[in-house]
Amino acid sequence: MDKAEVERRVRKVIRHVLGVSDDMILPESHFVFDLGAESTQSVELVAAFEAEFGIEMDDEAALSVDTVGGAVDFIAKYVS
Amino acid sequence: MRLILIDLPGPKRFHFDPVALSRPIWELRCGITSLGEKLVAATKPASVACFCPPYMADAYRARTAWPVNDPTTLAGDDLFVVHARAKADAIAKQATGPSRIQLDEDGECLFLRVGREDLAKLNAGSIDALIESAKKTLQPCSCDMPTWNYTWELVLENPAQLTRDFAAAGRSGIEGAVEDPCAIRGSKNDVFIAPGAKIHPMVVLDAEHGPIYLDEGVEAHPFTRIEGPCYVGPKSILLGAKCREGMSIGPVCRVGGEVEESIIQGYSNKYHDGFLGHAYVGEWVNLGAMTTNSDLKNDYSSVSVILDGRRPIDTGSTKVGSLIGDHTKTSIGVLFNTGAYVGAMSLIATTGKLLPKFIPNFAWFVEGAVTKGFGKRKLYETAAAAMPRRGGRWTEADEAMWDAIHDLTEPTRTPAVEKGRRLLAGG
Repeated sequence: MDKAEVERRVRKVIRHVLGVSDDMILPESHFVFDLGAESTQSVELVAAFEAEFGIEMDDEAALSVDTVGGAVDFIAKYVS
Repeated sequence: MRLILIDLPGPKRFHFDPVALSRPIWELRCGITSLGEKLVAATKPASVACFCPPYMADAYRARTAWPVNDPTTLAGDDLFVVHARAKADAIAKQATGPSRIQLDEDGECLFLRVGREDLAKLNAGSIDALIESAKKTLQPCSCDMPTWNYTWELVLENPAQLTRDFAAAGRSGIEGAVEDPCAIRGSKNDVFIAPGAKIHPMVVLDAEHGPIYLDEGVEAHPFTRIEGPCYVGPKSILLGAKCREGMSIGPVCRVGGEVEESIIQGYSNKYHDGFLGHAYVGEWVNLGAMTTNSDLKNDYSSVSVILDGRRPIDTGSTKVGSLIGDHTKTSIGVLFNTGAYVGAMSLIATTGKLLPKFIPNFAWFVEGAVTKGFGKRKLYETAAAAMPRRGGRWTEADEAMWDAIHDLTEPTRTPAVEKGRRLLAGG
């Protein structure tokens, strides 16, 4: 899966879980400060990413990812 | 005679989950004292030792004065090996007599009585070896031996056990401070307020239908109403609570709202309004405001409980509330279904609806789905922060025990997490 496809699917999950519009989702968007993710939504995001990509992410490493671009890079490593 | 309490890995141990995942079964409460304390009181041994599942031995050793999993305790005296599930009233009659072994229908040892002279005929190198050699060597005993079989039995038996334990304790009267106006209904002989307990004004102690035992350092704030039979453990605080009959609260708890026929092991908070009925709550639990459990079905049929994540077990009782494991936290407004299993080390966020009947251990329950959340490390950090607030301490042994519990409970958690992922992804 190429990175563009990872990004497309990451954006889809973020739209679904956080209920934000596509134009708000930029690579530098911070999940908490820009997209308004509460702590429980961060948990939902991790679970939804895992379901979307069929992966299981390391808990602590996933916790350290705080931007959309960071999530794309992080997941791209798992699916490559 | 040396009493050897045993709670070894076996096919029925999960019947006492989630509260016995992190402690031997004999530490569970019923009435005023624990099952272990009742067994000791019934058998009057010269000394006590114990054997528990190896994964919890180090953590438990720090909490007890008894030798734990020490095979040297299996020599040098007459031994009375007693399973934690054996009921104390019945075991008292078996404490003396010729060497015998009593097994249950699955071959699990309920008690083993070995005279010093017969010990040499057995293999006392380990508790397992001792029991196995006794099975081959000793005459079986075929007496009737009642046992505890599930956690909810402790809850259902609690009111009657409270009354028996109060009589056995033999204490009554007011030795603590009681501020007027305080109303005591029933006989004052059925009330014991221990030294150091403080009863604020406007508290009602209703002992008409059963005794009330308030232990040392208990504080009952105004507008608390306590109905007997009831026990409140040392340094617990009742915050205007409506304490219905049959409630046992362990040490250092904060209890508000309405509690009926429930057992709280200790060190737990149910500070705010919300109903807890026919429940067993572990240690270091925090129930958020308005957390409520159902303990009765609308059709008055018997309640079933799911202990293994798959098969419901019919309790045969119309009243069973939640079984809540240690270190679990709920948000405001959580609604537990009738006979809910709420795993240990879980975080539960409200959905506004009744939650599933089985929530696995180490689950982060959000948006109606079980997730792995941010994993066990974050939960350990929370436990390490919470325990010193009540005089406890999170230790390396605790962490090793909970790591083992995490592994042990993985088979029931993984399918629920996978289902939760699909749910949260909209699939």
